[in-house]
Amino acid sequence: MFKDLDPLLHSQVRLAIMSILISVKSADFSFLLENIKTTKGNLSFQISKLKEAKYISVKKSFKGSYPLTTCQITKKGIDAYETYILALEDYFKEFRKGKGS
Amino acid sequence: MKISDTHSPSFDEEQSLQVIKEMIQVSRQKLKSDGILFILWGWIMFIHYFILYAVRAFLLTNRLTKNLNLLVSILIPIGLGVTIYYLYKQHRRAQTYIGISLRYIWFSMFVCLVLINLIQYNVLHEINFELQHPIFMVVIAFAITVTGAIIRYKLIIAGGILFGISAYIASFLDLPGQLLIEAFAWLITFAIPGQILYAKRHS
Repeated sequence: MFKDLDPLLHSQVRLAIMSILISVKSADFSFLLENIKTTKGNLSFQISKLKEAKYISVKKSFKGSYPLTTCQITKKGIDAYETYILALEDYFKEFRKGKGS
Repeated sequence: MKISDTHSPSFDEEQSLQVIKEMIQVSRQKLKSDGILFILWGWIMFIHYFILYAVRAFLLTNRLTKNLNLLVSILIPIGLGVTIYYLYKQHRRAQTYIGISLRYIWFSMFVCLVLINLIQYNVLHEINFELQHPIFMVVIAFAITVTGAIIRYKLIIAGGILFGISAYIASFLDLPGQLLIEAFAWLITFAIPGQILYAKRHS
């Protein structure tokens, strides 16, 4: 029996956000939007969900007259992501075992 | 990768693995060094040291020497200005741990160069440029090699080793010879690998 996958991370956009943030110190909204290629509204919504769960921290500032949103993964977010990866690994191990037998 | 869902419905484990792989790959590719700073500093330092060499090795008119010295004095501040602007622009998008490490290495290298000068002055009561250049080159060689190791680019690592060898060879030469070696060392170890990196990134 393998561990349940974190429902908060088991979503395309949220997992994509976390996968980018895990490999950088911080990234701004436009960088995430450019790589994830979803709509602005959806990205914004998913970021707020991750922020609510304290998986990421969001800093809002201004660059000239433009708003700048910078996201950074938190310790809780790193732990959740690692747990998610381990659960995924378990799933594939079980899957391979099932295929082998 | 196109993630067009607006409500993020659950998806299966295969797809989640795919998202993780693609996102890590995409951000790694996008944030990879594009070689611009290597090209910039390779050429700036080549011109800088070549002018210093030419002023000492050739008989030039007073006016030309004055103009060349002026060019030497403004080149590095221009390079620093462009570098700060370039890093500032990149910083807005995403900040990587590799970028942070490189900034620490090059900043601490710069501090080392200043300290070497101060120590030399305290010990010798003068700045001996024939001693200063090879020692500077060794410190720079160290920074280049570590940079190459961090960005995992073998050509830069080889460049660092070559820079170190050039430093040793330079220690046998007089000042103009050292300046000429240093000029070409910068060109070979920085500008050429940078150009290759840039071409790879944009191909």
